[in-house]
Amino acid sequence: MAAPMLDIKELGKRFPARTGREPPPWIIQGMSFSVAAGELLTIVGPSGAGKSTLLNIIAQIDNASAGEIVFDGERIAGSDVKALHPGLNRRIGYVTQDDNLLPWRTTIDNVLFPCEVQGTLDDAARARAQELIGAVGLTGFERYYPHELSGGMRKRAALIRTLVYDPPMILMDEPFAAVDAQTRTQLQQDLLRLWSLKRKTILFVTHDITEAIALGDRSLVLTQRPARIAAEHPIPIPRPRNVKDIFAMPNFATIYERIRADVQ
Amino acid sequence: MRWRVWLDRLIVLVILLAAWQAGSLWLGNYWLSSPWAVATRFVASLLNGEMLFHASYTINEALIGCVIGGVPAVLLPFLLRRQPIVVAILDPFMVGGYGAPKLAFAPLFILWFGIGIESKIALVAAVVFFIVYFSTLSGVRALEPKLVQMAQVVGANERQVGRHIVFPGAVPAIFAGFRIAVPYAIGGAVIAELISSNRGLGYLVQTGAMNFDTTQVFVAIVAATIIVHAFIAVVDLGERFLLRWRPRGASLIVDHGT
Repeated sequence: MAAPMLDIKELGKRFPARTGREPPPWIIQGMSFSVAAGELLTIVGPSGAGKSTLLNIIAQIDNASAGEIVFDGERIAGSDVKALHPGLNRRIGYVTQDDNLLPWRTTIDNVLFPCEVQGTLDDAARARAQELIGAVGLTGFERYYPHELSGGMRKRAALIRTLVYDPPMILMDEPFAAVDAQTRTQLQQDLLRLWSLKRKTILFVTHDITEAIALGDRSLVLTQRPARIAAEHPIPIPRPRNVKDIFAMPNFATIYERIRADVQ
Repeated sequence: MRWRVWLDRLIVLVILLAAWQAGSLWLGNYWLSSPWAVATRFVASLLNGEMLFHASYTINEALIGCVIGGVPAVLLPFLLRRQPIVVAILDPFMVGGYGAPKLAFAPLFILWFGIGIESKIALVAAVVFFIVYFSTLSGVRALEPKLVQMAQVVGANERQVGRHIVFPGAVPAIFAGFRIAVPYAIGGAVIAELISSNRGLGYLVQTGAMNFDTTQVFVAIVAATIIVHAFIAVVDLGERFLLRWRPRGASLIVDHGT
């Protein structure tokens, strides 16, 4: 097997102690897993299990308290790595739970924001942005401000803002949790279509078992705090998948039951 | 509905003027000039150029003072964004400067800068600076950390975070500061002129009062009020342009959405 894109070894996280208090509990402890290049790995865990904390550490917004992380052969977190490099020099994209669109920028300017700060804003970037806007059905809304868009549209804009600069790995933190069921199905289908074109390495965190099955090549289940990997489930459902009819796949129910049994 | 608001405003204005007129009849023109007398004198001073002569002086002081006080007040919180300790050290002094009665400094400024326009500008700048500083500071502090993290993850450096995230986020607070500061700026200019000057609306007030000419005092006050309205209208216009991304009727605090 080729070297994994992302390798997490014995990762631990606890927030700094406040003076005069008990040392805080571990949020994540002894967590190990790896993500292969081009894989779409989903992680299922209950709310408050430390999923966002895990992604923040990988995205280099937050530091690890123990263990190490190797990304593309390079140690990015560990006892000897001190400084944080958010986004690891644009190699790790992060689609957060909140869309974090800039309210003072229109859709197109939000999507192009990464290119603008990276100094890669040229005609090619504009064409790519326009293509992505078309791919997720935002055509006609380029000049709208975020407050004029629906929740689902904002999620799409946030998603393609990360795709536009093409980072090799993308982290997704329940990006579709706050939208209605029908929009969510559509967004999941959009994501699968975009992923099938580019085969990015994606780490997708969710508390929704159906979503984890519909999207993932493989699914990891987290324990309650402190978070560890409780179980690993391959998802042998052939692609291309139809998210709307994922329930009808012959082995869906079996996989669902197995994962549900592991989610505490 | 807009015409209705204007109509109601007109009604309120008529009631106010009527009350004023009645008061003037009751107390006598000598003590309380009548709106009619003020209006005719106002128009006369407009026509003979006296109003322009004095009002332009006061407007100049207020404008230059707003720039000299306002620009550093806007810049400082941005420059100190990464130096919270410096901000903390400065804080009691800034609060002191904000709280000190600036108008009481007017005689000092006149002593230091002379009786010309400089002392008035200094007073306006001192008044405007602290108001705009604290307003801008609150805008910079209300910064959404998640937006900053997003920008850093996509590759923005510190300077870009300041320009694309912190500054636009603080614009509503900056405008709120100027909107509050404008009446104080005009007021400061007028007060400084009152104390010692040979030109300006404050001078009109002063000479009017000395000659028991209440009409002239009122003419100057009305002119100052109109100037405040005009300044605020300009601030509002700039705000509407720069904040066109905001939903209509939004509050002062920026809603970064979810």
